[in-house]
Order: sequence, then structure tokens, then C-alpha cells
Amino acid sequence: MASSRRMAQHSSRIGRYLLLACWAFFCLLPIVWLVTISLRGRTETMVNPPIYWPHFTLDAWRDTFDNWPMWAYLRNTFIAAIGSVLIDLLLAIPAAYSLARFQYRGRDQIGFYILSTRMIVPAAVALPIYILFKNLHLLDNPAALMLIYAAINLSIVTWVIRSYMIEVPREIEEAARVDGARSIGILMRVTLPLSISGVVTASILALIFAVNEFLFTLLISYTDRAQTLSVGLAMFTGGSKGIIYNDIAVVALVTFVPMFILTLLIQRHLSRGLTMGALKN
Amino acid sequence: MSSVPASTASVKSARAAARRRGHDPRWLPYALVAPAVAYLLGITLYPFIYALYKSFYQSSFTMPGMDTFVGLGNYASLFRDGDFLASVVNTVIISGSSVLAEFVLALGLAALVYRDPWVKGWRMIFLAPMLFMPSAVSFMWKLLFVPGASVVNDLMGHTGVLPDALNWVGNPALARLSLVVADVWEWTPFLFLIFVGALQAQNSDLEEAAKVDGARSWQVFWQVSLPLLRPIIAIALVLRGIDAVTMFTKVYVMTQGAPAGNTETVSYFIYRVGFNQFDAGTAAAASVLVLIVTIGVAQYAVSRYFRPAME
Repeated sequence: MASSRRMAQHSSRIGRYLLLACWAFFCLLPIVWLVTISLRGRTETMVNPPIYWPHFTLDAWRDTFDNWPMWAYLRNTFIAAIGSVLIDLLLAIPAAYSLARFQYRGRDQIGFYILSTRMIVPAAVALPIYILFKNLHLLDNPAALMLIYAAINLSIVTWVIRSYMIEVPREIEEAARVDGARSIGILMRVTLPLSISGVVTASILALIFAVNEFLFTLLISYTDRAQTLSVGLAMFTGGSKGIIYNDIAVVALVTFVPMFILTLLIQRHLSRGLTMGALKN
Repeated sequence: MSSVPASTASVKSARAAARRRGHDPRWLPYALVAPAVAYLLGITLYPFIYALYKSFYQSSFTMPGMDTFVGLGNYASLFRDGDFLASVVNTVIISGSSVLAEFVLALGLAALVYRDPWVKGWRMIFLAPMLFMPSAVSFMWKLLFVPGASVVNDLMGHTGVLPDALNWVGNPALARLSLVVADVWEWTPFLFLIFVGALQAQNSDLEEAAKVDGARSWQVFWQVSLPLLRPIIAIALVLRGIDAVTMFTKVYVMTQGAPAGNTETVSYFIYRVGFNQFDAGTAAAASVLVLIVTIGVAQYAVSRYFRPAME
């Protein structure tokens, strides 16, 4: 009786690992394929049947940086994404503190309005946004991308920081208040330092979403003055040569590494960040 | 954590207490939240009003200042436009099947690993697809499905899953399926991460008690853990559902709406009409319809799912 139960447990564990291995295979196979694409010559990319063991070469890695304005793409991505996160923090920290610590008429409505902007269909605002930036003479300008990324991510940054601020014990704030500190001072010296993991999580998520953005970047940037990596790689369609997948694979892998490191940093807080703070850790 | 007190008396006393403690002026919380709200209003309300205005005109990008007022004409023609109606149907089919498949897979995977000793290792492997840029993911799957040299066809042929080489982009159902497969690959990790996090955060005492009572592990999951997960599932599905419905990058890179518009989503329709055909009036009318529907859905989702979970 006892041993048959143990055997059932044993076989169920094997079945479980088999299922997980299947998913890991589906997960990783395209990534392995991407790596081999980046390590082969262009003639070995689009052949029938596919070549699984290519002649390994680093040509694509060299060509990508030689043939495309990679440094401009990297610079634009960096400026627009980092700048947007700074704008977000500047706006979101006071807003999150207001939503987390004060009681006032309309507070919930304001909070839920901010949250609901996360649910707007980007394509539905694309046309007016394009016209707006055209009228501001900000087309093909990284500053425009910065402003758009900031707007896209403001809701998630505010709500994630808010969810961490709510958990700062009120007693600690009260103690500072008794010592004569005013609200702004308490925010800067007590609440903000104590909710720093929320600030870091929100910043990293916003950074990743900004680097990934495609639709608006495609619309309002069209030269290497403003194009980012995300849209730049869509330009690797060299006319008669067709789509240059080898170089696209290089860009994909180049951006994967920093994304992976950033995600490792917030691993523990990831679920909470992705649900905008609805999930406590 | 704290909601607005029900009675005005307690509101007054709370305010009085707050003033005694901190001497904060009453306008301070509004001043703190105002810049963020102003920024968002600028970037959300402005486009809505502008699109609403443009939607009543026949208007072209290429000829500025040549607008003619047509009233509700753009809306009327939108409802007679086979392309627009088809794009609504496509969006429902593609995003619906994507989210359904992602939900089932993510929940199953989360249930399998959340009490596993190597859960951290599985999590790192399973989240990898999410960390590639969406445009790169789209190109990667385009290559895997490319006609004549498809790795997917080749592997399936060798393993005997499907004997015939499939024309992924040429066949309407398969073209949609290729978008769904790419979306499932990229975004199942999103739901998986949320579900694993929520399951791990749950108190394990209830599960232990059920096990002591003789329940099998799948029964424990189904009857004890899952019901507690319901609010998180709702929020995760709302967030993923919204993103799936707005799918643009994959369509732009992988199919451009082909074959014969069978993969054209609403987002791609607005882009094509507005920015390729320069028909600003029609694109604006479609934008307004989409905004009205999504703002309604967002209001409902926020009040129904986020509010209870937050308090």
C-alpha cells in the first residue's frame, strides 16, 4: 500500500519533468536557432532543407556593426529609454506618495484614471500623436520618443511604487512627523528610501518596455537621428538581398543580454511589477 | 490598504487629525498628483479629441487644409467596409486564441513547478522568450515559418508530425496560427511568472491540511490553490488580453495582413488606412470607435478586478 503510493508519486514526478522538458525545448529551440543564424554566412540562412550545422563564422557580428548605424541606434535607444524613466520617476514618485498616504476626495478616481491609461490601444492614438509631434517639430527626434515612452510607462511606474509605499509602516512616518518633519521631508527621507525596491523594479520594467516599443518609434522616427534598435532592425531588409536575418539575429542577441541582467536584478519582484503591484511578495 | 471612510463625520475627524499631526495644507495631495495627471491627460485626452474632430471630416495627410465636413459619413462607411469588419473578426480570433492558449499553458506550467525544488531554474528558462525585443521575436518566427525553407516544416516532417510541407503564410488559417504560435511563445512567460509568484505567495498550510485529509496533489491545486488565485488570474488576463488585442508588431513584420487581409488586426487596419493610404478621416473614425470600446472595457476591468484586489 505504502510502496504503491510511493511508486505513483515517483512516476508522477517523471511525467511532470517530461512535460516541463517539452516546454523548455519549445522555449529554447528558437533561441538556439537564432544563435546559429548569427554565426553563419548569409548563404546558409534561407536554404531548403535548413542547414542545422553551419560553417561557423563571426562575419554577421562584424557586418552588423560595420554596415548599419548600430552606434546611432544604441545611442538613441539609450537616450530615449533612460530619459523616459527619469521623467517617469519625477512624475510618479510624488503621485504615488499622494495616492498611498493621503485621504482626499477623488483620490481613488484619480488613481484608477492613471491605471486605465495602461489599457489604451496604441494604434488608436497613433494618428493624433503623430500630428502632435509634427506640429511641435519633434519628428525624428529622440526627445519625442522619450516623451512617448514616459507616457506609456507612467501608469505602471506610479502603481508599482504606490504598492510599495503603502507597505511602509505608518509608525515610522509618524515618528518623523513628531520630530517636526513635513510631508515632503518625510517622503524624501523616510518613505522613498524604504520603498526603494519598488522604485528600482518600476524603473527597470519601464526601461525594458521603452527599449522594446515599436509602433510609435516606427511612426515618428525615420532616420538614424532617432531610430532605436527595436525599429532599426526592421531596416535590415537590404533591397534585392531580402531580409538580412543574420544581422537581425545579432541585434536580437545583443539586446537580450542586458535585458537578462536587468531581469535578474528584479527577479524577486518581477511578478509584483508585472501585475502593477496587485500581487504582494 | 486604506479606503475613504464611509461617513462624513469620520472624514472630518480624519482630516482634523491629519492637520494636527502634519500641518499639511489641504491642497498638498492634489499638488503632488497633478503633474502626473496633467501629463497623462495631455497624451490621452488630446488624441481622443483630435481623432473625434478629424473623424467628422474627409481628410488626407497628403493634402492638408483640404478637409471637407462629412458628419457621421466616415463612421457609416466604416460599418459598410468589409476590411474593417474583417479586422475586428481577425483581432477577436487571433487575440482570443492566443490568450486562451497562453492562459492554459501558463497555469499548467505554474502548477507543475511552484513547489518544485528547482523552481528558480525553471523560471529563468521559461521567462527567456519575453526578454527579446518584440520586433526581433517577430523576425525570428517569420524566419522559422519562411516559405520553402521553414525550420518548423522541416522538423515536423522529420518527426512525422506533419508529412506535408505547409504553406504558412499562404493559407488563411495557418497565417493566423503562425501569429498565435509566435505570441504564445513570447507571452506565455508573462502569465506564467505572475501565476508562479501568486502560488508561491500563498500560505501552504491550507494545502498541507488538504493533503493530510488524503487529497491528491492535483485535487489540492484544483480545489484549494486555484480558487484563491482567482483575483490575480483576472488581473493577469486583463493586462495580457489588452496587449494581445493591440497586437501590431507581429502583424507588421510577419504577415502585413496577408493572405488577403486574413491576419489584419484592428491596429494594423488603422495603421494601413492612416499611414499607407493617407486617409486620415477613416483612420480617425476607426480610432474613436476603438478608443470608446477600450475605455469602456478598461473602466469595467479596473472597477471590477483591480479595485477589490487593491484594498
